[in-house]
Amino acid sequence: MSSSVGAHCTELKQKYDTCFNKWYSEKFLKGDTTPECEDLFKDYRACVMITLKEKGIDKLLAESRKETQFPSASSGDEEAGPNSA
Amino acid sequence: MKLFKSTHNFGYEWSLVSAANWQKYPNENCPHVRHVDVLNRKLDPETGVLITERLLTVEQNVPRIILKLLGTDETQYVREISTIDPRKKTLTMQSVNITTSHLLTIEEETTYYEHPEDKKQTQMSQQATVSAGSLLSRWSNMVEDFSLNRFKHNAAVGREGFCKVLERFVVMAEPQPTKESF
Repeated sequence: MSSSVGAHCTELKQKYDTCFNKWYSEKFLKGDTTPECEDLFKDYRACVMITLKEKGIDKLLAESRKETQFPSASSGDEEAGPNSA
Repeated sequence: MKLFKSTHNFGYEWSLVSAANWQKYPNENCPHVRHVDVLNRKLDPETGVLITERLLTVEQNVPRIILKLLGTDETQYVREISTIDPRKKTLTMQSVNITTSHLLTIEEETTYYEHPEDKKQTQMSQQATVSAGSLLSRWSNMVEDFSLNRFKHNAAVGREGFCKVLERFVVMAEPQPTKESF
């Protein structure tokens, strides 16, 4: 499994990846769109965000997102969701 | 600006290829991809489409003159947005460098889709544009050439690496007849 840019986040990342990969093959590809692994993702993501800030990568991402946003809402919904940049 | 385009066949069905994609790194052919992080994920419950934003950390040897021209070191960050439509059986990935992007932009789009004539195979089409900005002036052609060649090399080792990942994936996905571990 790949490591995280934040070395201390790798363990959290791999826990999340394991959950996601299982969900992807056993549920998602079979048409089950019930999301899973959200708590694990939250913990891992929180860790990565700190590293991104420490390394100044957050600023690079913000620049890139100005040009191409990560989709933050489903069609017709203008509210910013929890995943917005 | 320089362009790169290629298509390739994988002898595995699309579902497996799309799942193996998440486990492409690390692989021994691509030591330059050091870390992969998921930044955001969004699943549309109606369409079933999954969108993922990832950050790839890449470290590769770069000639000193190019490092100086770009004002950077050998660590590059790449932002990738991928869209998976499990009903249409398409996986599209768009990536762009976010380091030195004011001087040099490398944009890549790769799509994996079910082979139109054989459902047991997956086709990949990949294209990239490399463009150095005017700030590099008379060096821009040299930087573009270097970047394009580097991209072609990475694309080739990336495919080879992915092939090996797919082979292991198939073995792991098969029901095991005995309790031997690998």
